Amino acid sequence: MQVNFWNIYKTFFKIGTMLLGGGYVILPLLQSEIVDKNGWAKDEDIVEYYALSQSLPGIIAANISIFTGHKLMGIRGAVAALSGVIMPAFLAIVLIADILSELVEKHSVQSMFAGVAVGVVILVILTIKEMWNKSIVDKFTCMIFVLAFILASVKVSPVWIILSCVVIGIIYGAVNSKEVK
Amino acid sequence: MIYLHLVWEYLKIGLFSFGGGYATLPFLYHLSEVYGWYSPKQLSDMIAVSSITPGPVGVNAATYTGFTTSGIIGAVLATSAVVFPSLICVILVAKLLNKFRENRCVQSAIYALKPAGCGLLTAVALNLFRENVNHIWAYILFGILILMSLKVKKEPLIYLGLSAFAGLVLGFFGIV
Repeated sequence: MQVNFWNIYKTFFKIGTMLLGGGYVILPLLQSEIVDKNGWAKDEDIVEYYALSQSLPGIIAANISIFTGHKLMGIRGAVAALSGVIMPAFLAIVLIADILSELVEKHSVQSMFAGVAVGVVILVILTIKEMWNKSIVDKFTCMIFVLAFILASVKVSPVWIILSCVVIGIIYGAVNSKEVK
Repeated sequence: MIYLHLVWEYLKIGLFSFGGGYATLPFLYHLSEVYGWYSPKQLSDMIAVSSITPGPVGVNAATYTGFTTSGIIGAVLATSAVVFPSLICVILVAKLLNKFRENRCVQSAIYALKPAGCGLLTAVALNLFRENVNHIWAYILFGILILMSLKVKKEPLIYLGLSAFAGLVLGFFGIV
């Protein structure tokens, strides 16, 4: 598909519609819609945007959409992606706001949610598999991975994790004269 | 006045909630105490619902509060307010990044950034697994879907659809 405002909006609207079970599914959705189907970006770009989104204020799914939209078409692309990705969320809530509490108590809704929650875990795991191939390329990157994982497991804020990894990366790059990728 | 309050509070949430996922929740509970825009019970219902409605929980919460307190205009204002700081920050960072991408420091930073992102997501996956896959039927569904992923190309909709359907069926038979 050609990159223009309307196509970016449409693609992100589609992603927003499938964004179930919390914001994490944004990664597999971007990989499927933006990388695989449209070839608008590479897996590496998405991984980079995800890491950056973690260390910036705001909702991650929104941040990563803005990054991707901005890469595609500057500020207009960013606005297209952001409005596209939040529109389905907006419409859905406005539609069900009045019956929300009854909806939650419905057993079928609860069991559907329990099912989707398992699907979300699978999707996140599959995403990690692909991210791993693109981001862990040598001993140093493997070490950063382990460090970030451990710190995140003991509930250190993602902002500090990303910042400290960036600092380590810069020091490592300065000490090692060989080219980094 | 209520419009101003909504915009102000959600701008703050958009600006100060780092780390995504459920980082917005403490703010949302705080709002329910200060303004009484919704009860804590309504909020927890909202969070439950947000996992089966499209979109991140933060956006859902903004729309919901805006809508329940002051109708459709409130919904538009609160939703826009919660993502507006993101728009500004991300565009700024993206512009800087484009400008300095050839810079050595920036390249080493990105080189370390990617595995860090991957590590963070792995921790998320582990948490999600503990929370969501905690029952024998969930293990079985998990196993089936993992086996499937070896054969089927990764199409998120297939997995979400299948797992929702499995949940419904299991619920129908009273297993979930």
